[in-house]
Amino acid sequence: MMSLKTILDLVLAAGPAFATYYLAAVGHGIFEKSGVLNLAIDGVFTLGVALAFAVSAVYMNPNLGLLASVIVASAFGVIIAYLTTKFPTSHGAIGLSTMFVGYGLASLIGVPIRSTTPNAAWYPLSDTFWAEIIVVAVVIGLLAQYMLRKTKLGASIRAAGENPYAASALGVDILKIRLIAGAIGYALIGAGAALYVLAYTQSWSEGTGMGHGWVAFAVSLSAGRSPLLTLLSAAVFGGLVNYSYSLQAAANLSPHITNMLPFIAALAAMVIYAVTPLRRRLAPPKGLGKIYFKEERTV
Amino acid sequence: MSEAQTKTSVFTQNPNSSNEVVLEAKNIVKRFPGVVALDHVSFNVRKGEILALLGENGAGKSTLVKILYGVYVPDEGEIAVEGRRVFITSPLEAIKLGISMVSQVPQIIGSLTVAENIILGLSKYGMISKISRVKEFIREESKRTGIEVDPDIEVWKLSYTQKQLVELLRSVILGAKVIMLDEAITFLPIQEKRRFYEFLRRFVGQGGSAILITHKIPEALEAADRITVLRRGKVVGTVDAKKTTLDQVRKMMFGERSSEITYERLPPSKPTEEVVVDVEDLWVLGAHGEYAVKGVTLEVRAGEVYGIAGVAGNGQLELIQSVIGLRKPVKGSVRVKLNSKPIDVSKVGIGKIRSIGVGYIPDEPLKFGVSMENNIEENLAMLPSITNGIIRWGRIKKLAESLIKDFDIKTPSSKTKVKLLSGGNLMKVLVSRELMVSKKLLVAYNPTRALDEVTAIMVRKRIKEKALNEKLAVLMASEDLDEVLQVSDKIAVMNSGKIVRVFNAQEAKREEIEKLMVM
Repeated sequence: MMSLKTILDLVLAAGPAFATYYLAAVGHGIFEKSGVLNLAIDGVFTLGVALAFAVSAVYMNPNLGLLASVIVASAFGVIIAYLTTKFPTSHGAIGLSTMFVGYGLASLIGVPIRSTTPNAAWYPLSDTFWAEIIVVAVVIGLLAQYMLRKTKLGASIRAAGENPYAASALGVDILKIRLIAGAIGYALIGAGAALYVLAYTQSWSEGTGMGHGWVAFAVSLSAGRSPLLTLLSAAVFGGLVNYSYSLQAAANLSPHITNMLPFIAALAAMVIYAVTPLRRRLAPPKGLGKIYFKEERTV
Repeated sequence: MSEAQTKTSVFTQNPNSSNEVVLEAKNIVKRFPGVVALDHVSFNVRKGEILALLGENGAGKSTLVKILYGVYVPDEGEIAVEGRRVFITSPLEAIKLGISMVSQVPQIIGSLTVAENIILGLSKYGMISKISRVKEFIREESKRTGIEVDPDIEVWKLSYTQKQLVELLRSVILGAKVIMLDEAITFLPIQEKRRFYEFLRRFVGQGGSAILITHKIPEALEAADRITVLRRGKVVGTVDAKKTTLDQVRKMMFGERSSEITYERLPPSKPTEEVVVDVEDLWVLGAHGEYAVKGVTLEVRAGEVYGIAGVAGNGQLELIQSVIGLRKPVKGSVRVKLNSKPIDVSKVGIGKIRSIGVGYIPDEPLKFGVSMENNIEENLAMLPSITNGIIRWGRIKKLAESLIKDFDIKTPSSKTKVKLLSGGNLMKVLVSRELMVSKKLLVAYNPTRALDEVTAIMVRKRIKEKALNEKLAVLMASEDLDEVLQVSDKIAVMNSGKIVRVFNAQEAKREEIEKLMVM
């Protein structure tokens, strides 16, 4: 039998992975609730990882690394929101292009720093710190839930994602709301990315973080973009990723299968939501990814 | 506005109406690709009056109110609110100036609660305000205006009428000085309509103003103080509603064509013995899992127009949908005989019966009847009864052009995306196409919704001609009793999911039908 202490240790040790996916997934959920299809997530996540490493390596301060990632990712969120809302352009094209820009910038920034300063200041590998980031991530998630469900900002974000034309007629400034949702959402994605490298992997090489933005994407989808349910999906996937090697060994699984798990779970979750009464609450926003262009004659 | 026009209103009968202009548009011009929607339009609304804005399909009414609500920005012209020039670049701007709009399709968001929908437009509440703060306010206003709504209910649970009431309440809560109703009342049941008009009367009695767009001219004459008529993007004139007549307004709207308007019963068709639609003890579920159709049995013969009268929401929609194969019956059967032997619709599905010559005009035509992103030709080509595998565009183009000419569809070309057309012209694309593909049967719900009087009557005549000359069977439900009376050979009254009575057209009496509809 495992003692309570061992279980607690196991839970805490998964803290960095949990916080990474939770924050990024909540951010993704907020942005998509405003109606913008967020396909840039993995690129910006990878960029945030590189940036957090680079800044922390140069200034030997993880907090500065975190801050840099949050600010730059947030700026990307604003740019994506602007491009997809101001012009009649495809969300898919803008998202995927931005993703590749993110990958490129990540290498451009990370590689030179890594060749001169291979080590950065990482966050401590301690129970106390892991407990702290779990608590902070959960509090941020609860605030996001409160914001989305109980405030006018939240209602505006949901309205913009559901039907931007009607929302606009009701008095929502769609562009402004999507810029805010982009800024908040991507700030959280940036925070998740920074924690990924500074608290979880604690090392950087070219390509670090790539693919984990997509995991966050799947974590958010499996929870129907709800910050509350994301607690569950992020805990499951944080645990899976953190103990991936132990699991592979214990269950004799191929690493390719464990890597697929989040996406299989996302598919399963979406099907489950679609056929149960949860579908109304957890349905994707009706206007998600649709081109919003005001000066059209519509009836 | 010329001085002479302003002066006549001094003699207006309405004690509430003053000369004070709340909202004025001057020389508004708006062009859309290939069309001038508004050509130097000027008009005004006074404090305490209901102004009706009338005109045929595509005259520019909706465009005009959308400009006043900041949905479109005019290419030229000025707007003034209480004498001050304003620039309305967004609905939020319009709301701040005291202008609000209620449209034909409720512009509120289904997944949000009533309170959430309303708070979006209230700028006195900041972005991080709690939604619950607005609820008490909504309850008070609800009590004061007599419009009962639960602020916590999610909008998708409301009926059409309730949604429109929410929109009206919202206008009041936003502190509207001018409420613009764009066909907002047209499709409400009679009793609800009365409540709306009573509310509007009270609203203008307390110093508010309203702009009313409707195709029902008698209603406009009764409810409005003044009437401004638009035609092809220009103002024809403004008249005092109490001093004008139905004929005069129709002349202004349609010119020479106004003589085509008639509400007389069209000549009866001569049905054969052949039964085309055979519905037997049909039970169908509605959207919320309750029985919407409860044991309906009916027969439509070749050459017969079978009209279903009833207040909206009494199962007509579900009946029509299951006859065409869009809704599976729980019990009972629908058989359609198009060739030699009858087909069970619920077995073969809508695709099959549509491909062998059944026309269908759906309830939400813009949503289910046309593909908005495609042009007129593509909207024809997509039908299986027009195209078989390979599209012959030359033939489609000719078809499109003949429909455009025949139905006087106002469009720059047959390659114009249908979303660029006005509501009425869009409907003409759909109706003309469906009449063309109807070989043996036409199934329709509100076939002339959104059409102006002249066009609506033209469509009814066409339906009747096809029944008479080509032995087309027609099953039609309409919320417009005038329509049912004018075109049907048999009239069934539907109430609470049942057909309560079937009349032969000659024996049908309007009062009796109305009574059965609401009993």
